[in-house]
Amino acid sequence: MSALPHSGDATTPPAVTRIEHTRLARPNGWWGMAIFVATEATLFGTLIGTYYYLRFNNAHWPPPDVPEPKLTLPLVLTGILVATSLPMQLAVSAAGRGRLVTARVALLVAVVVQAGYLGMQLHLFVHDVHEFPPSRSSYSSIYFTMLGGHHLHVGIGVLLNVWLLLRTATGLTTYRMNALRATAFYWHFVNILALCVVGTQLSPRA
Amino acid sequence: MAVTVREPARQRVDRLERIWAEPRGVFGWLTTTDHKRIGLLYFFTALAFFGAGGIEALLMRAQLSEPNEKLLSPETYDQLMTMHGVTMIFLFVIPMTTGAFGNYLVPLMIGARDMAFPRMNALSYWLFLASGLFMYYSVFTHAAPNAGWFDYVPLALNQFSPGRNIDFYALGLIFNGIASTATAINLIATTFKLRAPGMSMNRMPLFCFAILAVSLSLIFALPSLTADLVFLELQRNLGFHFFDVANGGDPLLWQHLFWLFGHPEVYIIILPAFGIATSIIPTFARRKMIFPLVALAELLVAFIGFGVWAHRMFATGLPTITLVFFAAASMMVVIPSAIQIFAWTVTVALGRPEFRTPLLFIGGFILLFVIGGLSGIMFAAIPFDQATTDTYFVVAHFHFIIFGAAVFPILGGFYYWFPKITGRLYHEGLGKLSFWLTFLGTALTFFPMHILGLIGMPRRVYTYPSSLGWGPYNLSETVGAFILTAGLLVIFGNLVWSRFRGPPAGPDPWHGGTLEWATTSPPPPYNFPVIPVVTSAYPNWDRDDRRADAGRLERGELVLDEGHETPASTVVDAVPDEVVEMPGESPWPLAVALCTALLFVMLLTRHYAVAGIFAAMTLLAVAAWHSQEPQEQ
Repeated sequence: MSALPHSGDATTPPAVTRIEHTRLARPNGWWGMAIFVATEATLFGTLIGTYYYLRFNNAHWPPPDVPEPKLTLPLVLTGILVATSLPMQLAVSAAGRGRLVTARVALLVAVVVQAGYLGMQLHLFVHDVHEFPPSRSSYSSIYFTMLGGHHLHVGIGVLLNVWLLLRTATGLTTYRMNALRATAFYWHFVNILALCVVGTQLSPRA
Repeated sequence: MAVTVREPARQRVDRLERIWAEPRGVFGWLTTTDHKRIGLLYFFTALAFFGAGGIEALLMRAQLSEPNEKLLSPETYDQLMTMHGVTMIFLFVIPMTTGAFGNYLVPLMIGARDMAFPRMNALSYWLFLASGLFMYYSVFTHAAPNAGWFDYVPLALNQFSPGRNIDFYALGLIFNGIASTATAINLIATTFKLRAPGMSMNRMPLFCFAILAVSLSLIFALPSLTADLVFLELQRNLGFHFFDVANGGDPLLWQHLFWLFGHPEVYIIILPAFGIATSIIPTFARRKMIFPLVALAELLVAFIGFGVWAHRMFATGLPTITLVFFAAASMMVVIPSAIQIFAWTVTVALGRPEFRTPLLFIGGFILLFVIGGLSGIMFAAIPFDQATTDTYFVVAHFHFIIFGAAVFPILGGFYYWFPKITGRLYHEGLGKLSFWLTFLGTALTFFPMHILGLIGMPRRVYTYPSSLGWGPYNLSETVGAFILTAGLLVIFGNLVWSRFRGPPAGPDPWHGGTLEWATTSPPPPYNFPVIPVVTSAYPNWDRDDRRADAGRLERGELVLDEGHETPASTVVDAVPDEVVEMPGESPWPLAVALCTALLFVMLLTRHYAVAGIFAAMTLLAVAAWHSQEPQEQ
């Protein structure tokens, strides 16, 4: 048992690759993120539950003075965001095999698309707030709370990716590898969440 | 020859001492990541809040001791009542059980050298402290929360509660929830990943199972409270509509979300008590517990706890079918609870029990839990609930549970682990005296509340007329509360005196079965000079295994003296997988907590732009923290 790999010693891409190969279980950091995601998923479950609770308490949903939610643009934007799960996963597998440059390019592609998505969504958000402010009814209240909550998560994800890009500029360590894995996991969650949120928001059109 | 064999072991231990040493003095405590020191910080802070909550209770009891008493104004009474509830639940029991007991004991019991995320552990503590101070600052501005700990709307909306009182409550609890969530994540990851080689899931101490169940409950229960509080703040401060019917909201939404959190919360409070009981009983009864059944029962209580929330709302006009479902679910909780009660009593009955103070407290706990549980089953009967809801019968029931069943094991746990933490023995005679005072005080304080409830005294009243005959019962409760306080003071007097004057305890005064008794008292910063290898659920009773540990220390196997290291294992079978480098002391958790606290202060005072600046500073501090990697320290 004295031959256990010391993951702290892995501070070069080949050493990290070796740890990745010998490891039997997922690292602590991955578990931390997984449990965090579980609590976040519950939070959004509560928001979506509240949406339907309020909806079934109101005869008109959305209320007559609020325009019906638009279909095309939110769906296209969500599709683009969900697609960034691919470069995120590519970054993980490339870094795990020691290909740091590929990993960083994939990360860069992902973060540019994600930041673009966020900018576009914030623009729409501000536009909608002017059209039907949250103080008008319970519909607009839960609409903007849920949407704002999701944008906040996308924003945090963008910051995580920027931080990863900065940190991996000076090389790869197990710590950074674990962070990358956890961040990719976070992004898969945010993307699934995007589908749930947009599905809920568009549900009056169904 | 013995000298030459011992020499390398001595050198390895010295190296561990050097590697794990933390800075001395106040700076050391501010930057510590040692789970034992953080556990002690949690302990003293939670104890201070327990004192505050206790004083609030005594003031209320003094006010209620006689009809038409004028000691407190109605407004003050409302504030005391709300702060008492909030304090005892969020600032005492949860931080005491998960923060103090969980933090101190879980890594020791599973044979690890620290928690999975040591710096986040420090962050949890500083956030908890800041959130407690944040909420208590309201008391000094005479604007303490005053709508009850359940904070029902519409009372809590700004038409009816225009001051800052409710904002202190809502923001304080969101803040506090961040700390509890971080602790829960840490405890789950620790029990999953850092168990000693060989400690498969079915060998994990039952205390750790209880803490795991609590942490899972927190993870899935706190979000609905957080969402509820965010809705409330958005409605109060930014004009959103969630809870007012005129704009399409619903006041019952608050109650659903609150109790969706609030009922699992009851099990969050009580499960650690189960865990402490399952630690103390085998030690003093000299008999192992029935393992898988109790572990499953602990997890099952936590799980069923999520399906019963509406039994708090039987009197709100929900559809009958809903009521019946929740009544049935509430009855179901009886099954895992009874499994545990039988397991405890049978273990004591079939063992050779030695009734020292900790076991006395567990005995008191079982009795009070059965009484509180029986009055709890009554509420699952809908007609009975509708007749007694909002009376003192409810207050009697939940104090038997929350004080009798949740706090008694905590007090027993103070005595039980005191020798481990201080290296000294407490005074047994005083210990027994303190038990009887506390027990009689508890019975005298809370039992007459049943009668008062049945003869119609409502909850949440600050006084009552003399013509109703409630005076004598109330007076006996007040007397009981002061006896109870005397009992608690004897406990703390005993522990403080023994800390300085008690006889040395040695590593294992009780011959306990779990790993915390395998190391010295108090444990060294690295917990174990050699990582123990485990082959059963009561590893400290496996003498051969512990001798094998000593041999490994001589040979330098699993000593891990090359850095701040602990082994990480596979989740189910605990096959050692890698040696992970643990981060050491860091000033960043404190800095992050400080920025977060200022962020919440700015939200409270509605300086949203400045709040944004502090949010950005929080993120920068988090980035600085994570730019310091463990292997670079």
